[in-house]
Amino acid sequence: MNAAAEAMQRRHGDSLWNKAWRKFRHDRVGVVALLVVCAYAIVALGVVLGWWATGWADISGPKWAPLSSEHWLGTNIIGQDIFSRAVYSTRTAFEVGLIVALGATFIGAVLGAIAGFFSATWIDEAVIWLMGVLDSVPFILLVAAIAYSLQDSPWAMHIAMIATFWIGTARLVRGEVIKLKGQEFVESAHAIGLGRMTIIFRHILPNTFHVLLVQATLSFVAAIKSEVILSFLGLGVKDGMSWGLMISESTFEVLAGYFNNFIAASVLMFGLVMAFNMFSDALQDALDPRTVK
Amino acid sequence: MTALRTVKNIALCFVAVSLTAACEGNGNGSSTPTEVKTFHYSMRSSPGSLDPARVSTVSANVMVQTLYDSLYAYKYLQRPYELKPRLAAAMPEISDDGLTYTIRLKQGIRFADNRAFSNGRGREVVAEDFVYALKRHFDPDSRSVAAWIWQGRIVGLDEWKRNGADYDQPVKGLQAIDRYVLQIRLTRPYPQLVHNLAMGPSAAVPREAVEFYGREFSVNPVGSGPFRLISYDATEAVLVRNENFQREPVSLAEEGYDPITQGQYGLEVIDGRRAPFIDRLEISFIDEGSARWSSFTKGNEVQMAGVPAEQVYRVLESRDPVVLKPEYARKYHMSTEKEAGFVYTAFNMDFPETGYHPDPVRNERNRALRCAIMKARDWNARNDSWYGGLGEIFPGIIPSSVPEFDPELSRESVEYDPEGARALLAEYGWNAGNLPELVYSSQPGPTSRLFFEQFRGWLTNIGYPKEKIILKTYATFADLSKAWHNSEEQLLSLGWLLDYPDAESSLQLFYGPNRSPGSNSSNYSNPEYDRLYEATSVMQPSAERTALYRQMNRMVIDDCVVISGLSRVGIALWHKNVVALPDNNFVGGQFLQYVDVLDKAVGSAVR
Repeated sequence: MNAAAEAMQRRHGDSLWNKAWRKFRHDRVGVVALLVVCAYAIVALGVVLGWWATGWADISGPKWAPLSSEHWLGTNIIGQDIFSRAVYSTRTAFEVGLIVALGATFIGAVLGAIAGFFSATWIDEAVIWLMGVLDSVPFILLVAAIAYSLQDSPWAMHIAMIATFWIGTARLVRGEVIKLKGQEFVESAHAIGLGRMTIIFRHILPNTFHVLLVQATLSFVAAIKSEVILSFLGLGVKDGMSWGLMISESTFEVLAGYFNNFIAASVLMFGLVMAFNMFSDALQDALDPRTVK
Repeated sequence: MTALRTVKNIALCFVAVSLTAACEGNGNGSSTPTEVKTFHYSMRSSPGSLDPARVSTVSANVMVQTLYDSLYAYKYLQRPYELKPRLAAAMPEISDDGLTYTIRLKQGIRFADNRAFSNGRGREVVAEDFVYALKRHFDPDSRSVAAWIWQGRIVGLDEWKRNGADYDQPVKGLQAIDRYVLQIRLTRPYPQLVHNLAMGPSAAVPREAVEFYGREFSVNPVGSGPFRLISYDATEAVLVRNENFQREPVSLAEEGYDPITQGQYGLEVIDGRRAPFIDRLEISFIDEGSARWSSFTKGNEVQMAGVPAEQVYRVLESRDPVVLKPEYARKYHMSTEKEAGFVYTAFNMDFPETGYHPDPVRNERNRALRCAIMKARDWNARNDSWYGGLGEIFPGIIPSSVPEFDPELSRESVEYDPEGARALLAEYGWNAGNLPELVYSSQPGPTSRLFFEQFRGWLTNIGYPKEKIILKTYATFADLSKAWHNSEEQLLSLGWLLDYPDAESSLQLFYGPNRSPGSNSSNYSNPEYDRLYEATSVMQPSAERTALYRQMNRMVIDDCVVISGLSRVGIALWHKNVVALPDNNFVGGQFLQYVDVLDKAVGSAVR
């Protein structure tokens, strides 16, 4: 067998994931975006492990100290180090992003799969009705209402976002499952007498993972952005620090002509959201069955 | 035909508009519509209700004092504050036992014209109006928020309420002896009564107006103050001169004018004239400080504003003494005003972790812990961060705005001493492991959160573990206040504004019987303090009473029950063609009757 034939066979034998990975590697923008996301992740991990930004809550300098070797981005109105707070906030962003992305994807996948599998039955209608109801309320209003009603809980914001973010995932998964459930491998599963839940969760749902992965990255980005808005409104992070809180705190400073807090939080948030968006786009392209060859 | 009707309508409209404008002008006697003197003022929030019985905010008090009249008032320019008769003909005649106050009213004072009166003309204000106004606070239908001022103080008033609040039933201790003489009999001496009669809630209210408007009375005020209301909503109130307001000409000398400290404002132009001097008062309710500032600096909107804390550094050339930058000094008059009150943090002594403990040894350790937390407080940093560095820091709970302030009192309790705090903790066996959790309750919002972070930062500086200082937020101030009053919170960060220039107003915050749900939210209980409070509560102002007040102040400091305090200082600016001297403390809204607006700048530059 010559090399060309080997290559062809390899290509034909490749899974969707191998093909996607190969395509992704050639997407320079996507790779750079992934590296940036990884860099942020390392920063967040360092905060979790206590390697840096441990003094984010300390009053370590005078009010509005300028940039210096001691305070790289200066200090805020009560003398806290802005750099430490901005770095610490990376952890919050990842924490919120990951929890919400996983939670929303999980719920969206389960409900979407069930609705899709039982399409045109009362189960499907019930799920669609629920999604319609939640969709009919403006997003920020709904998130704010849930976060407000659960505000004693440190998880209020996470619950609020998960409660709304799963809908998009569920719609996509439902459509995908409706498409898949008529295929031969599902009919075969029925033929050998497998249970419906086994068919849904062991045979159909794994075939929607490419959709779930992209949706998870999108939810991650949306969660970070929503956290900033909710924290700005006073409905977000309860303990700790986040970019949203930093921007919220900086309103007083901006009016007085001090922008360090605002710029630090905005730039870091912009960097992560931008990188994740680009990574998400690249991933979507790589996993799109119509373009994967 | 249609064209003819249109022309006719236009003509009618023109006549109507002209008549309306002419009527407004006639209110001033000689003004034409183009000469209407208008003063544009602003306040932070909408007052909600304009009913004297429902006054619960500063802005409501300003409005009520502008629309209504009380028996007494504070002299416009006198500092320290001094009372003067307003609707009363003289200061009250007080019986030797201090229990009976006889107050004679001025004659010929009339309420503003209103359709609530028969024939629409305001009738004369009589003593019975004050009897009615005070009774209203004890009528459940009025939903008064100010009844506490007289609760248990006037003979028979509480019984009157218990017996069904029937206005036709007399109250033994509250009687109109005749048309112009009011007599109040107290259950026990209460020297602060005259101050209470200068507050907005004690204003004269005509019974027929309350009955005419019913619940709508809260937005249809009928008073005898210098202005009457013509429109009111959540964003703006428009008032015009009350044509029936006829008082003695202003005497600057009697108002306490000091040409040395107040000479730069051009106030001489109001001397000998009858207030009010403006025809129209437009009050905007602007919640956001920066928006109010923007409206003020535009030049053609609000004519008087406080400088927002974030603008202090831009506006001032120097903070001590307070000096405006030349570009602002050229355009505006300025005054600084220290609040008659203070901000403080109190411990709730009901919490055994930091307050009273049945074990005497632990009790003493808790006191040491509170004292260490007090030493950790950096008042200068707080002042610099939040109050433009202008606030006045003082020890204890008697601020310098009252005559009982003790300038000789040790300042140790307000000095930042982290080393001393650490030593104290070590001496009493406190360490990171056994220090109790501290729950800091607050409202949501960035500023409240930074207050908490600052508080936590100070404590971590003395070795308090960060994770043991916990933030607990409440959705609204009302929720937070309810939790305080129910003794559910360990730490209380508060601001307190005195009701009158007498230290009793802040000393009562620590009087044992006032414990939660009363005003003693820290639930401080010290029998000696209570004994002194009771002794002073029936004393007229004197050196002896002042000495006892100061002794009580030292008790609160020594027991480390409160971390106090700081009186905030505000800077007010107003346009140069406006003649005024604003006051947000005790003169309150009454200063608006003395405002004049001229065609040209008055006074000298302030630098």
